[in-house]
Amino acid sequence: MKDNKIHIYRTRTNILLGIFVFILTLVITRFFYLQIIQGNELKELREQNINAFEYIYPKRGRIISRDGIVLAEDRKVFSLAIDIEQKPSEQSIRKLTDLFSERINVEDLRLKVSDSIRFRRSEIIIEKLTQEDLAKYLVSGSDITGFSVIEGYERQYNSHPSIFHVLGHMGYINSSDVNYFSPRIDEYNSKLWSKVGKSGLERVYEQKLQGEHGKRFFQRNARGDRRVITDISPFREGEELLISIDFEAQKLAYDLMKDRKGSVVVIDLDDFSIPVAISTPSISANDLRDISSLQYQDLLNDPARPLFNRAFMGLYPPASTIKPLLTVFALNNGYTNWDETIFDDGFFRFEEEERVFNAWREGGHGLTDLKKALVESSNPFFMNLSIRYEKNLFVDFLKSSSFGSKLCEDCYPHQFSPLIDDDWKYKNFGKELFKGDFINLGVGQGYMLTTPLHLSLISGILAKKGKYQLPYLVAKKQNQLSINEELTEQDWNKLQASLIDVIYSPNGTGYRINAGALKLAGKSGTAQVVDINSREEYDEVRTNPLLRDHAIFIGYAPYDNPRYSIAVIVENGESGGRVAGPIAKEVLEELLNGF
Amino acid sequence: MVFNLRNSIILFSLGTIILMGSLTIYSVTSIDINYFLRFLLINIFVILLVVLLFNQINLNRIFSFGWLLFLLNILLVLSVEIFGKEINGSKRWLDFGFLSLQPSEFMKITYALFVVQYLRFYSFKFSKFRTIFLLSVLFFSAIPIIAQPDLGTGLVYIFLGLMFLFICGMHRFYFIGMGVFGVLLSPLIYTFGLTSYQKGRIISWFSSDQTLSEKWNILQSEISIGSGGLSGEGFLNSKQNEFNFLPEADTDFIFSIYAEQFGFIGVFLILLMLGTFIVVTTLLTMTEKRLTSDLSPYYIGTYCTLVIGFSFLLNILMVSGMIPVVGLPLPFFTKGGSSLLCFSIMLGLIFTSRGFLK
Repeated sequence: MKDNKIHIYRTRTNILLGIFVFILTLVITRFFYLQIIQGNELKELREQNINAFEYIYPKRGRIISRDGIVLAEDRKVFSLAIDIEQKPSEQSIRKLTDLFSERINVEDLRLKVSDSIRFRRSEIIIEKLTQEDLAKYLVSGSDITGFSVIEGYERQYNSHPSIFHVLGHMGYINSSDVNYFSPRIDEYNSKLWSKVGKSGLERVYEQKLQGEHGKRFFQRNARGDRRVITDISPFREGEELLISIDFEAQKLAYDLMKDRKGSVVVIDLDDFSIPVAISTPSISANDLRDISSLQYQDLLNDPARPLFNRAFMGLYPPASTIKPLLTVFALNNGYTNWDETIFDDGFFRFEEEERVFNAWREGGHGLTDLKKALVESSNPFFMNLSIRYEKNLFVDFLKSSSFGSKLCEDCYPHQFSPLIDDDWKYKNFGKELFKGDFINLGVGQGYMLTTPLHLSLISGILAKKGKYQLPYLVAKKQNQLSINEELTEQDWNKLQASLIDVIYSPNGTGYRINAGALKLAGKSGTAQVVDINSREEYDEVRTNPLLRDHAIFIGYAPYDNPRYSIAVIVENGESGGRVAGPIAKEVLEELLNGF
Repeated sequence: MVFNLRNSIILFSLGTIILMGSLTIYSVTSIDINYFLRFLLINIFVILLVVLLFNQINLNRIFSFGWLLFLLNILLVLSVEIFGKEINGSKRWLDFGFLSLQPSEFMKITYALFVVQYLRFYSFKFSKFRTIFLLSVLFFSAIPIIAQPDLGTGLVYIFLGLMFLFICGMHRFYFIGMGVFGVLLSPLIYTFGLTSYQKGRIISWFSSDQTLSEKWNILQSEISIGSGGLSGEGFLNSKQNEFNFLPEADTDFIFSIYAEQFGFIGVFLILLMLGTFIVVTTLLTMTEKRLTSDLSPYYIGTYCTLVIGFSFLLNILMVSGMIPVVGLPLPFFTKGGSSLLCFSIMLGLIFTSRGFLK
């Protein structure tokens, strides 16, 4: 009996021992698999567990004017943040709020601390500490724990409003920025840069300005707490941007506009860079950085449109200022010559359509030749010419004068002057161009629209006798361009002499500028804001300031060796000669005396 | 005490396991060397105390208190529901201030003592009634453990209880019957008998979805083990532990930290020691010549040895991802009073049953 029991016991114990040894072998095999066969892979996973990195953001490049003024730079700012690795104590929270009682209160801070611990992110509690704040915090240092001072950069702009449109502004990245930058920037990583240039040079030269981020490698534990910094990969600060803007002249131009809306654009005729490009009204670039979205909406809805860059975007009828350019076209194609005269009685009668066009001066200019038509700005003379224009040649000429194409590579945002051809008219009015359309086009009205930048360039084309380059803000090699007409030297000289007479002859529309020793040549213009059919209507319109004509002036100086071309537009300024001209004179004087 | 070769082998292998366990606990929890010495001393002290205490008590006396101890243990398990402290969503521990005990850990011992006391009276003859009675007691006493909820400990308790009945000679018909019944019943148990937490554990073991936190734990454990490679990262060099990637590093998952530090060589060594200890001790217990016809000491000694062996293997199967994660302690490694006390008592029973110290 006992033997039988012992036998059962021994058999069963042996079975259990067998199972034990079997599992033991299984376990050893499993560990062999994990440690020897999969060892390296698993070790790699462990390194991924522990080692992490974060980006180091470089300092953004400065933007400097050609007269050496820093227009934009990154300044180091210090912020106070919650240190998630050392939870702030209740005592520290109270002490900190005592220290900065005007900037934070206890309840908010408590909430932020608990949120930041819960979501394990380091929340910033005071942004942009002043030197004084920083000193206060550091002195009280050891009493307050659980907070840390973190460094960052903030874009600081020259606060003069004249420069805002050229520089543009920065903002938090959104999907349209991603679409804009992805094709332009090599290895663009939208997750990396939280703020990018939204407009102006900040946007165009984003890649150059932003530099290259570095990486800070560190080891962290399972909760994500940083432990040890193990390595830092090098980073490159953003490049400095030297721009063509002459800040003194830029400021002067802006100040001269006073509270009027409009734009001044100057082109340096040596290299076709842009030393002055202002748009009024404007704001300080720093203001846009700090405002709330509500205030931003107010700016967008402001009828004066301070955020709209008139210099590159505003489309205005060039009015009489287009006449010199069209003279080149008319002379070259034999539509007129310097000897042809007409009798200007203040009207132009278009017999084909039985329409009568008013000219600006009551009673007209009398017997008028081309030179007089330019100097005194006779509309009937040019209307008479324009019915002779052949459509295709006219369109080709406008095309060669950069209508309908992008003018400036680094002006952003940018609008080109529309090319008025059959396609354009079909698209907008469903008809082709009529002869009658040319009467308005011939005096820079009707469908013809140009940007201030383009007008300044047209002035440059006249100064350089048809040769030009596309303007730019940051030095870049440009292609030589020219209009597709080739006037004789004699014709050019006569044309330029007429533009000088505009300023210096007592009959000239620009005589009142009193240009004196500046050696200014130019052409004034007055662009109608609304179509006016009679003199009575005109007087009526004048009483509403917003319907008054735009004053336009284009010109260049000095006329014997042109250095700068200029375009000035004063919205509702009424008289190109009297309002826009003097601004042009002072800006050019500043530029020419500055060197 | 007789220092012959066999005893020396047993003591050496056991000593190695205890030493390595203490070293690993020290490497996980602290870098203070005093802590390690204290832990090692406490370990050895408790083991020696229990072994010597048991040696002074006649084994028969212990057996005669079997049912009383078992009843007391069940009451303690039930009292956990009232006085226990809750950790990770289940109440398992009784807090005595200096020591927190998990009464369910001791059920596997007291049940065996109860069975011995009950069957000894009948010379270990399994009648139909006795068999069903003992099985019923086993299953019903497991209910409060499973209800804590602690499915792992409960299942292991049932498994070990059955193993003891197997050693004691219960007819194999019952084991076959229960096996078939269990397989047929398991879908029902899964659907109605398990909490969502327990289901989650089982699902995570079968699914390959690594975002489940249980799967993450196993993954981190496998990463620790694998990182050890052949020779290990060296003592105190467990990065998974340093950077807190391994949950429960000082209890359930301590062997992963051991494997990372000592590599496959270390793992092989400890398993060799375990195998040696279990096999040699079992064989010696089995072949011990006895004067009485009472087989109780054989049963208890063999049972305790195998409990230590299987507990060790179950924990390692768990940390290496071969069975679902159930909170099972690793003998002599896991930090915790009840585990140490429980396995010390087993050592005491093993040595006493063999008359080892005489």
